[in-house]
Amino acid sequence: MFNKTIKSMAILGVVAIGSGNTFALNAAEVPITGTVESKCIIQTSTAGTYGNPNAYTLSTQQADGGDQAVVRFDVTLADAYYAEITPPTSFSSSPSLPDQVTWTGTVEVQAVSDATGMGTYEADKLEIGNTDRYTLTATGSTWFAIHSTATMGGNKAFPGGTYTAVAEAVCVAK
Amino acid sequence: MLWPGYSYSESITPYSGTTGNAAQGGLNWSMGDILPTPPGLDINGVIYNYTIRKNTDDQVDVYVQNENADGTGYIFREHDQWRPGSLDGTEINKVVPVVPQNRLNWGDGSIQVEGEGRVEDPTVLYNYTVDPCYDPQFDPNCPGYKRPEPPETPEVDYSYATDLTFVRTEDDEVDIDDVYEEEQDSEDAEQEESDEKEEMRLEAALAAADNSALFANALAQSQILAAMNMAVGMNSYYAADLPGGTYNDSVVLVDKQLPENKRGLRNGLAQQLLHEEMVQSQYNLK
Repeated sequence: MFNKTIKSMAILGVVAIGSGNTFALNAAEVPITGTVESKCIIQTSTAGTYGNPNAYTLSTQQADGGDQAVVRFDVTLADAYYAEITPPTSFSSSPSLPDQVTWTGTVEVQAVSDATGMGTYEADKLEIGNTDRYTLTATGSTWFAIHSTATMGGNKAFPGGTYTAVAEAVCVAK
Repeated sequence: MLWPGYSYSESITPYSGTTGNAAQGGLNWSMGDILPTPPGLDINGVIYNYTIRKNTDDQVDVYVQNENADGTGYIFREHDQWRPGSLDGTEINKVVPVVPQNRLNWGDGSIQVEGEGRVEDPTVLYNYTVDPCYDPQFDPNCPGYKRPEPPETPEVDYSYATDLTFVRTEDDEVDIDDVYEEEQDSEDAEQEESDEKEEMRLEAALAAADNSALFANALAQSQILAAMNMAVGMNSYYAADLPGGTYNDSVVLVDKQLPENKRGLRNGLAQQLLHEEMVQSQYNLK
C-alpha cells in the first residue's frame, strides 16, 4: 500500500517537471498514524471494603468484616511486563482524623490462568518498599488480591464517616 | 461469580448455552447428566476453576479431561502442572476453546490428580451450541424438511368373497324341497321374533303414556297453587303510583357483526339426523 503510493507520487513529479518550462515547487506533509494496543490490561475484578473490627482499626480481612480487593492483569505478550502493585498508604477521602494512621498491606497471587507458566509468580515476586513486583513471564490472566489495614495512632477511634483508600496497580514494560 | 445454567429455545435459530457445574458431585461425572437433551448439541469450550492444595516444594499434576465416547482416549484433556514453588491455595481459572464436537463424541469427564496434593472446590462448565435443525424433521422451516408421507391404506383381502367353497355352482346338486323347507323355517323364526318385539314396544308406549298423564296432572295442580298464592295481597299493588317522567332505554345495542352460531348449526344437524332416524324407524315396524 505504502509502496504503491510512493511510486505514484514519484511519477506525478516527473510529469510535472517535464510538462513546462516554469518550475512549481510544491510540498506536502503526509501524516502517518498508527495505534498500538496495550498488551497488558488491568481490570478491577473486585473492589475491596474495609471492616471495622474495633474502634481504631479498618481492615479488609474477611475475619474483620472486610473484603479484599482483587485486580486482574491480562497479558498477551509473554515476559514483557512487570506488574507492580502498591497497597494504600493514605485515605483519598475521609473525615478529619484525630491522629496519624499506620498502614500495612499485602499483595498475593490469588488465581492464575496457567498453572505451569504462572504458578511460581508468588514465590518469585520482588518486594520494593511497599510495592510488590511480579514478572509476568507467561501470557494469560493473573488475579492479585490486595489486603490493607489502617490503624489509628494512640488507639484513638476512627471518626464516623466514609473512608476511601486507593491501591495502585501498574503494568510496567520491561 | 455467577454461573449461567441451561438455556433452551423452541426457535430453529441456533443458540448457545452453558451447563451447570459438572464437578458439583465429585471429580467424575457423566455427560448425560450434565448436558441438556437436544440432539444437535456441539460442545465448543470448557471453563474450569479449582484451588490447588499442596506443599510448596511438591509438584502436582492435574488433568481436567473427557474420554472419547468410544473409549479410545480423550476428546479433551487439559494439563495443569503445579511446579515446586507454586503456593498452596492458588486458584486456577481457565477458559479452553475446543473444536466443536457433537455431544455423542463426548464421554465421561473427570479431574485426575497426580502427586501429593488435591484440588478443592472444582467447577467445570461446558459451553455449547445447539442447532435445532440437526434433525430436519424438527420443524417444517428447517432446511431439508420432508413432509411426512400419509399412512398407507391397509390392503384388505377380498378373496374370500370369491372363494369357490362358498359359491354354489351349476354343477352342485340341489334338492328343491330342502331349499324350500330351509326358507320356510327361517321365515317362521323371523315372524316370531318380530311379534315379540312389537309386544314389548306396545307395553313400553302404554307405560310412558301413563307416566305422562300423571306428570301433567301434578304440573297443572302446582301451577294452580302458585297462581293462588300470587293473588294474595295484590290490592296493595293496585294503589301504587308510578312516578311521571320519561323512562329512557338504558340498554343500547350497538350494531355489530354477529358470528354464526356453530353450536346452533351443530345442534340443528343433530336434530335433523334424529328426525331422519325417526322417519326411517317407522319402516322397520311391521
